[in-house]
Amino acid sequence: MKKRPAWIVSLVTWPIVLLIAFPLLWMLITSIKPAAELFSTSPTLLPKAITFEHYARVLQDTPFLQYFANSMILATSTTVVVISISVLGAYSLVRFAYPGRETLASLVLFTYLLPSVVLISPLYLMLVSIGLANTLASLVIAYTSFALPYALWLLRSFMAGIPQDLESAAMVDGASRMGAFIDVVLPQALPGIISTALFTFILAWNEYLYALVLVNSDEARPLTTGVMTMLISAFNIEWSLLMAASVLMSVPLIIIFAFFQRHLTSGFGAGGVKG
Amino acid sequence: MVQVVFEKVSKAYGDTVAIPGLDLMIESGEFVSLLGPSGCGKSTTLRMLAGLEQPTSGNIRIGDRDVVNLAPAARDIAMVFQSYALYPHMTVAENICYPLKKRGVAKADRAIKLAEVAALLQLEPLLARKPGQLSGGQQQRVALGRALVREPSVFLLDEPLSNLDASLRAHMRAELIELHRRLGKTMVYVTHDQLEAMTMSSRIAVMRAGELQQFAPPDEIYNRPANVFVAGFIGTPAMALADGSLADGGGHLVVHVGPLAVALPYAAAARPAAVTVGIRPEDVLVGEGPWQAQVRLVEPTGYETIVALDAGGLALTARVPGSKALRVGETVPFDLRRERIHLFDKSDGRRWKPAGR
Ligand SMILES: Nc1ncnc2c1ncn2[C@@H]1O[C@H](COP(=O)(O)OP(=O)(O)OP(=O)(O)O)[C@@H](O)[C@H]1O
Ligand SMILES: [Mg+2]
Repeated sequence: MKKRPAWIVSLVTWPIVLLIAFPLLWMLITSIKPAAELFSTSPTLLPKAITFEHYARVLQDTPFLQYFANSMILATSTTVVVISISVLGAYSLVRFAYPGRETLASLVLFTYLLPSVVLISPLYLMLVSIGLANTLASLVIAYTSFALPYALWLLRSFMAGIPQDLESAAMVDGASRMGAFIDVVLPQALPGIISTALFTFILAWNEYLYALVLVNSDEARPLTTGVMTMLISAFNIEWSLLMAASVLMSVPLIIIFAFFQRHLTSGFGAGGVKG
Repeated sequence: MVQVVFEKVSKAYGDTVAIPGLDLMIESGEFVSLLGPSGCGKSTTLRMLAGLEQPTSGNIRIGDRDVVNLAPAARDIAMVFQSYALYPHMTVAENICYPLKKRGVAKADRAIKLAEVAALLQLEPLLARKPGQLSGGQQQRVALGRALVREPSVFLLDEPLSNLDASLRAHMRAELIELHRRLGKTMVYVTHDQLEAMTMSSRIAVMRAGELQQFAPPDEIYNRPANVFVAGFIGTPAMALADGSLADGGGHLVVHVGPLAVALPYAAAARPAAVTVGIRPEDVLVGEGPWQAQVRLVEPTGYETIVALDAGGLALTARVPGSKALRVGETVPFDLRRERIHLFDKSDGRRWKPAGR
């Protein structure tokens, strides 16, 4: 294939990038425009005056920080739970021989194929019956139930790529099976674990539907539903506050992405090819 | 002293039987090669000895301990894997020190051991590198180093040279021989390269389909193969094998093979009805002799020439010194070294020893 000149590539990519980035840009701009400017009949791209009053109001006058803390706890616990289970589960699926192993693996994937709406009612009833309704724990369980299958599959393909000889060598060298797992398998699977953790964290951070149905108290509400309910009412949408809150919501993900981007792309790439 | 014992060891993977029943005794300090074609169960045997695979039945002893129920870590062995299995995320130094670390050797002592091994294998300039930054030969030396650092009672090596190019392989072969001589440790070496087995071993265990065919020193394996399989498997170019029969030629034994009737210097006492006759290429003497053969193929290798011959339907291979001017299609006279003709009983394939030999 002949290599295309760089300027043609740029000509194609940049409009696409702008198209995708525009709503984000608009969000950012709206959040720092004075409210008066917002509904001007001739909207301008760049604000005439810059203000951070919306941010101050979101942080001081609303339960935003409570929701933020809830989301943090929720996403972190879900990630910890999902990673702990899926790392061990994927290892078992790859290394141990037991009847029904392949069936189990496909069944796990099958649950991932069901639309999440289908599972909401049964899950809700189950959570009520074990007394967890309306708690963060109920959301952790719900998110785990649909993040886990994908995590298992992603990690399974990663672990399948780790040569078994490495573990054998570690065991001959004096490690127990668990020791070999910790010394050799975990470091080798680290890129996969990081990308799976990111995937789970993002999923839990952004989830809306389950949060809406399973939780309806401010103590347990995460950001997604919290911000919506506090700023959107039947009569009025507080656009400036909404946009400021949205920017604040995005910040953790952007920071995490910036840190782990390399792992994320290589991780999804490898998992995709082998899976 | 006996070091390693396999007693009626069998191994099945589900329905496939990899090893039907193996008996093997390895002396202390020996260099034993497990040699055989691909899939004959060499690695399985080694892995059972290492504790990475559980035998289906039978017993394995190392020294005076039964090890079948011991974890690999408790067996006092070290193993070099065919794939080297170096830990990719550790440096060369960390790789070599890992077995010591796992056995709780103090840090200062580890450093001393590392320095010793690094000097022995000339690894000093590489210690800070990761395995991914090493050549195949260097990786192999690191894998050896990781095994040597601990001074176990038995070394297990699974085709450690098979990933190397020819010249490096010859070099490492010499180094391994030297290493074994210096350390005097028991080594069990898996290979399907007969040159490696012949040059390095004190004894060779020839295997086929999980069964031990012969367990003997290299010269005996070569000069007195126990059966037709060993005869055909050992030696390049391979021994010519053909069906024949034995007869009494006025007191001494005559073997009829193809159109040839070869009088052998043995008494014609009790003899099997049908035999397989084996003739090594170096025992076919081209140039003069009582028989005639047509040249089918000439392969000069420089030092000698390999010649495929057709003696009236009997296919023979001959080694001729130098690059003798033989032409394909030409008819040449030849003779055989009669006392070196191998005879195998056709009914069971075993070597048949004429009386008085
Ligand atoms: N995990 C396994 N499951 C099923 N069969 C196996 C397994 N490992 C080995 N086998 C079978 O056991 C037999 C012996 O295998 P083994 O690996 O010991 O052969 P090998 O002599 O080392 O061959 P090679 O020279 O190719 O390495 C083969 O027929 C192989 O197919
Ligand atoms: Mg093998």
